[in-house]
Amino acid sequence: MSTREMVCITCPRGCTMQVEQFDGAIKVTGNFCKRGEQFAVNELTMPMRTICSTVKTSFPESPVLPCRVSKDIPKDKIFDVMNEINRVVVTERISRGDVIIKNVLGLDADVISTSDLLRKGE
Amino acid sequence: MIKTDVLVIGGGPAGLAAAIEAHKNGAKVILIERESRLGGILKQCIHDGFGLVRFEEKLSGPEYAERFIDEFRELHIEALLLTFVTKVQKTESGFVATVVNRDGVMDIEAKSLILATGCRERTAKQVFIHGTRPAGVFTAGTAQHFTNLLGELPTKKCVILGSGDIGLIMARRLTLEGAKVLGVYEVKPTPSGLTRNIHQCLNDFDIPLHLSHTVTRVFGVDRLEGVEVAKVDENMRAIPGTEEYIECDALILSVGLIPENEIAENLGVEIDPKTKGPKCDASLMTSVPGIFSCGNALHVNDLVDYVSESGETAGRSAALFSGKERKMASVIPGDKILYIVPQKLDTLSVGSETVVYFRSKEVYDDSIFRITVDGETVFEKKYAFLRPPEMEKVIVDFSKCGLSENSKISAEIEVTVK
Amino acid sequence: MANILKIQKKLSKRFGDRVKAELDGDIIRLSGSLSDWSEVVEACLMSSEKNSNIHVVNDIEFTGAEIPKMRVPSLSDDELEGKTPDVLVIGGGISGCAIARELSKWNINVMLVEKEADFALQASGRNDGEVHVGVDLSKGSLKQKYVLLGNRMYDKVCEDLDVPFERIGQYACFTQSYLYIPVWLLVQWRRFHDGVTDARVVGRKKMLEDNPTFNKDFKFAMYNGLAGVVCPYGLTIAYAENAAENGVEAYLNTAVLSMDTENGEIKAVHTNRGTIYPKIVVNAAGVFSDDVAEMANDRFYSIHPRRGTNSIQDKKAARLINTIASVQLIGKQTFSKAHTKGGGLIRTVHGNVLAGPDAVETFDKEDISTRPESIKTVYDKQKQTIKEVSERDIITYFTGVRAPTFEEDFVIEWGRRCKNMLHCGGIQSPGLTAAPAFALDIEKMIVDELSKSMKVERNESFNPKRHGVPVLNEMSPEERAKKIAENPDYGVIICRCEEISKGEIIDALERPLCPPTVDAIKKRIRPGMGRCQGGFCSPLVTKIIAEHENIKISDVRKASAESVICFGETKGGALND
Repeated sequence: MSTREMVCITCPRGCTMQVEQFDGAIKVTGNFCKRGEQFAVNELTMPMRTICSTVKTSFPESPVLPCRVSKDIPKDKIFDVMNEINRVVVTERISRGDVIIKNVLGLDADVISTSDLLRKGE
Repeated sequence: MIKTDVLVIGGGPAGLAAAIEAHKNGAKVILIERESRLGGILKQCIHDGFGLVRFEEKLSGPEYAERFIDEFRELHIEALLLTFVTKVQKTESGFVATVVNRDGVMDIEAKSLILATGCRERTAKQVFIHGTRPAGVFTAGTAQHFTNLLGELPTKKCVILGSGDIGLIMARRLTLEGAKVLGVYEVKPTPSGLTRNIHQCLNDFDIPLHLSHTVTRVFGVDRLEGVEVAKVDENMRAIPGTEEYIECDALILSVGLIPENEIAENLGVEIDPKTKGPKCDASLMTSVPGIFSCGNALHVNDLVDYVSESGETAGRSAALFSGKERKMASVIPGDKILYIVPQKLDTLSVGSETVVYFRSKEVYDDSIFRITVDGETVFEKKYAFLRPPEMEKVIVDFSKCGLSENSKISAEIEVTVK
Repeated sequence: MANILKIQKKLSKRFGDRVKAELDGDIIRLSGSLSDWSEVVEACLMSSEKNSNIHVVNDIEFTGAEIPKMRVPSLSDDELEGKTPDVLVIGGGISGCAIARELSKWNINVMLVEKEADFALQASGRNDGEVHVGVDLSKGSLKQKYVLLGNRMYDKVCEDLDVPFERIGQYACFTQSYLYIPVWLLVQWRRFHDGVTDARVVGRKKMLEDNPTFNKDFKFAMYNGLAGVVCPYGLTIAYAENAAENGVEAYLNTAVLSMDTENGEIKAVHTNRGTIYPKIVVNAAGVFSDDVAEMANDRFYSIHPRRGTNSIQDKKAARLINTIASVQLIGKQTFSKAHTKGGGLIRTVHGNVLAGPDAVETFDKEDISTRPESIKTVYDKQKQTIKEVSERDIITYFTGVRAPTFEEDFVIEWGRRCKNMLHCGGIQSPGLTAAPAFALDIEKMIVDELSKSMKVERNESFNPKRHGVPVLNEMSPEERAKKIAENPDYGVIICRCEEISKGEIIDALERPLCPPTVDAIKKRIRPGMGRCQGGFCSPLVTKIIAEHENIKISDVRKASAESVICFGETKGGALND
């Protein structure tokens, strides 16, 4: 059995929770609401994260374009996805929301542009 | 001379929201922006977490800003980009702002003025860091500009001083770009940034957070070569004998933000020493009639959602500004309150839904936030916890308590359980 | 002549057999071994006589720490190999630059070398910018002679060189009524004996009327209306630019490493950029002037470096003071013995408030690091001048290292054991004030000397007028609009605190001798000097420099070649390099 303290970050309240793990079961106390328990279970079984970064462009006035993944990816894939992001050079004047890398590493998430920075007239 | 009803200074989230709302309330609006693009500091805040309150989505800074920019454009509101306000003067009918840009120098006359000038970062010298003066000492925002806008890496191995949100965000950002963040040092015994940022920016990447520690000296003649850190006592003074040398190539500072109010001060606007922003009434009008303040110029917000909200309040108020008389009563914060906004209420136009923002001075568990008028409680809210990094917002009905200039309005925090 | 026996007796009493004095021709040479630097300074000072031209030379071995070697730029090339200037000026501080500019009036070949990445990077750029009146100095020293002359030259020099200068007056304030008569007498003496013609005593009422923020406890003050303020690095750079415009060749990042001498004459000067063969060498090397003298076997004085820290306050604090003022603390700093005579609180020429400096002896000639106790010392004192002065208004602070001899006077003379070296050493406060004046005398000395072996003619095309970068924010709206119409970049504000435009930055980059670095631009036209200290504008300035010079952002430097700002592109670019 193992016990650890975890701070729930689902909302700004930030409940400090005690998470006990034994025989594959997870017991959470100290959470104010149900989301806290869900958060703790996810953190222990399959922690997911988003990534926000930039991609290189071929436009000198905007050498990088902000991007993010369209949905959360497994935490342990963060640096693998960063490697993919670092390999890309955007050469088209794409818009906010446009896909830069489709289904990155087969994680069912796209890397998308988060800015209209490159759009003409911006 | 160009004439307008409302002149908005600053094209960040506060100014955009203010301009849009003033326009929707029927005013002719001109917005002045120093940079070549709208969006303010959000342009470089590429991380997510913006708009949770407003859009119930986790947007990145540019996405959040561009939603407002899109609306601003659709409404055909006039913006002067790459334009800098050099002077604002009060006139009989309002204000005249002198601006410069590539077209020259021009005056703009406005009936009311919205100051949405944001904030700046405290610098190394303002937190009294001593030693040499090498390259490699950056505020977090400057490091963010280099990294996220110019695509340049300002460090390979750094120490971060201050656990403010921008510092935490930059710890993760630089780590993702391959730099090594050796640790975050915070002089206070509690973190300055939001809990989720401690978790996702530091813990996720095993970046240690050293509370009650500070950087005492920097070393290196040309480029920074190392810093000296030390433990601090309860008065935040370095404890002799606890110094430790850390080899690194940069010191990144996230040691606080200061509202930018030079224009306001020159116009004689009264500044609250606690917020370092103008003292405002519920309409976010400052002590000078016709001048409104919002966003981080008003007080440093924790969430951009509140920045936009205050922009909208200021925008609406500025559009409807008529110059009618005000009779003010002060809101007096108790000793457990770091600050409260608004600082004053106009007793002649008391709303039933007055938005009040406050921060607690320290971390308090199980406490009650209470507003009283002449000893009578008009508002009360229980909190399981209050933390200085997290701003609180409440809506208070002052319409039924017969406010007058002589009313004693007090706000206090009562800690119910130790 | 110095009584060496008397000196030896004093030294023995204090240091036993650890320090020895001997008369070596016209110098007093101290030897021995001490582990505490303050003792080294004490021994030398107790052996010296103020303003004497028999100098103490410090050969005491200091065992307390390793004295750092002079920092030398990493640059190494042969750009200057074989050059044969008539005059080689060593040092790009106020002395060297002023001398070079005055020499440019003549048709001679003048070269100036400076080891730092810019001019005025040491003491000349790290002082309080006060133009002194000399009220603290008695007749008989070079300092006194040149400070009086220099002060009166400032209006013309600054007008010619297009450098802002203001005579804002100086108050030395007293809280003790009983000192009124002695101070009054001193003032009369200074006026009629020493030539400080504008010195006077002002009463409490008038002083507080003109300066309502001053400490109400002040009873009277010594006042000098001729005291002024100038931007010290601005003036130094202006001298350098004007020298270059009139034909002087100046090289930064160029350090003199050694010299070849023969029969008491310098034959060759070795630098990191090749060997130079000058006719005359001017030693204006500041804290290193004794080391440069040594290279020519002509070390007849020693420098004991003395650090001074100044702090700069936000322009908002300028409501507190519009002059130069300092409380006079009895016993320490009143009449003589003062190692920091000026300073106090100064409204700078750019509208900030400066507080400082302090004075701390050091063995490290290049220790420009700051320490908290310096700030505390200065503020503890200056809060007695103006009570509202607060550390909270500080936006930056810096340390400079003064270059005094133990006799505390300037050394301006031909070498004693080397014929063709002209010393301009021991220049410390009021060196900034004195430089325009002694530069003229040095010009004459050199022209006279060169005339013995060659025909020296006037440079007919010499133009004393320099035109600096236009300062847009000081112009009327009409003038400003006109400039913007000529160049729209003047309308793009880059530094919000100091209101500096892109056009001004590009102008600065195109001035003579401007290194394309962030600090050089900051020193010339002030982006980054304001309250945000470059937080907003430094990436923008970096980018403008990169674009103008057609280099990568990561190739732009703060100052020296090693002062990297960014390491290269993100996305792994910088890390894979």
